[in-house]
Amino acid sequence: MEYGFDITYVFEFIPKLLDTLNITLFIVAGAIALGLFVGFLVALPRLYHIPVLQNISKIYVSFFRGTPILIQLFLFYYGLPEILKLVAIDLSKAPVLLFVILTFGLHTGAYVSENIRAAVLAVNRGQVEAAYAVGMTGYQAFTRIVLPQALAIAVPVFSNLVLAMVKDTSLAFTLGVMEMTGKAQTLGSLTQRYMETFVALAIIYLIICVTLERVLLIAERRLNRHNNRDQETRSWFKNRKRASLNQLTRELNLDKKEVPRYEA
Amino acid sequence: MIELKGIRKSFGKNEVLRGIDLTVKKGEVVAILGPSGSGKTTLLRCINYLEKPGEGSIRIGGFSLDYKRAGKKDIHALRQHSAMVFQQYNLFAHKTALENVIEGLIVVKKMNKDEARKRGVELLEKVGLGAKLDAYPSQLSGGQQQRVGIARALALEPDVILFDEPTSALDPELVGEVLSVIRKIAKEGITMIIVTHEMGFASDVANHVVFMDGGVIVEEGTPSELFGNPKEERTKQFLKRITPELIYTI
Repeated sequence: MEYGFDITYVFEFIPKLLDTLNITLFIVAGAIALGLFVGFLVALPRLYHIPVLQNISKIYVSFFRGTPILIQLFLFYYGLPEILKLVAIDLSKAPVLLFVILTFGLHTGAYVSENIRAAVLAVNRGQVEAAYAVGMTGYQAFTRIVLPQALAIAVPVFSNLVLAMVKDTSLAFTLGVMEMTGKAQTLGSLTQRYMETFVALAIIYLIICVTLERVLLIAERRLNRHNNRDQETRSWFKNRKRASLNQLTRELNLDKKEVPRYEA
Repeated sequence: MIELKGIRKSFGKNEVLRGIDLTVKKGEVVAILGPSGSGKTTLLRCINYLEKPGEGSIRIGGFSLDYKRAGKKDIHALRQHSAMVFQQYNLFAHKTALENVIEGLIVVKKMNKDEARKRGVELLEKVGLGAKLDAYPSQLSGGQQQRVGIARALALEPDVILFDEPTSALDPELVGEVLSVIRKIAKEGITMIIVTHEMGFASDVANHVVFMDGGVIVEEGTPSELFGNPKEERTKQFLKRITPELIYTI
């Protein structure tokens, strides 16, 4: 029998794959939440040059950035229960998702920590001095002045991390998690329509990623509005009520993204 | 009143301040002059502990501190007594002009928001920026940014305002608007210490001029004493070199 690509299968498979979308999104959300928390904790010792802790941070970051995510998944899934057995904690009945989220979370945490560190260092030193001169404490200067500016700087790189994470979750199927890629595998072997399942899968990932890209771009614009010299864009969100669909798409147009200006 | 005693500061092996004693009376406008590398800016930054002096003590508005024994709380307390206007303005980039002015009032002085806002608007009007309350620093010219910086310093009602070369980063045509604002607040009897290269402005506005070189105060006195009849050879040399500018700006 000759194999013929049949587009109708693609449309048939898309809703079936979407049934497992919630698992994919659950992994992404859990991993990002954990990643942000861990990333922040790991970045602080290096920003404040805390002895010992900053070395631990460095090792942590090197490990997660220096080994493939697939191997990290295996190490955590098969290795962690063994190690914890030694201290009498039984993880043999823990759900696989827990290991997946833990691994992805720690993996993202390593990248987020570098992301945060670079962004904080990129905030002009004069900003901190001005905060001190006004009479703020170190904590106030960090949370009120440095952090908001660092976040604005961090968003573009963070967007990359999120998109990479969405796609990396497809590796969870190797541990037997029935997320979208896992589902696609079974659908494929069941129907012998591999090409159609993976086309359907690719379309879904593409739509998710493009949507996230746009949403994160809005966040980026909003956090960076102080760098925008055009007064009108400041009230971008306030004008929402009057926005037409046309105007919305025009504003979201990626090509029109303003090139940052750098001053001497 | 501000009293600095025996301030010393080194960057590595390079000793930038070699024992500075300076007394500033309440309401006095002090101009610190000197060639670059003479330690003027470092001295100014020692007053609010943006630089940590190796030795010395300070007394400011009833608060005294020995720099060697300064803990976190002391430093924080010291900074409540001064405000600073920076060469590079250093306005909080993510806050509007008004937010910049009232940030310290709300966060540090714990003033309520409406009251702070009212005071902020008043001050921005005073420096001629009543129309720019909601503009971000990136939307303002250098001169406007520096005037916001001055309003921010005034808002805190400090015992002294420290000006670190407030006009050095400005286009020549914008210098005037900033100097006229400083001149205006000088008349209100606010104590100010100004590190500047604007000789004409210093002789005009200051009532106490300090000449520094090589990390020490070479000579100090009233503008007429220092500019009209300098005693030290080093001061004469310095003034001679910048005299053309002096004539030009006056």
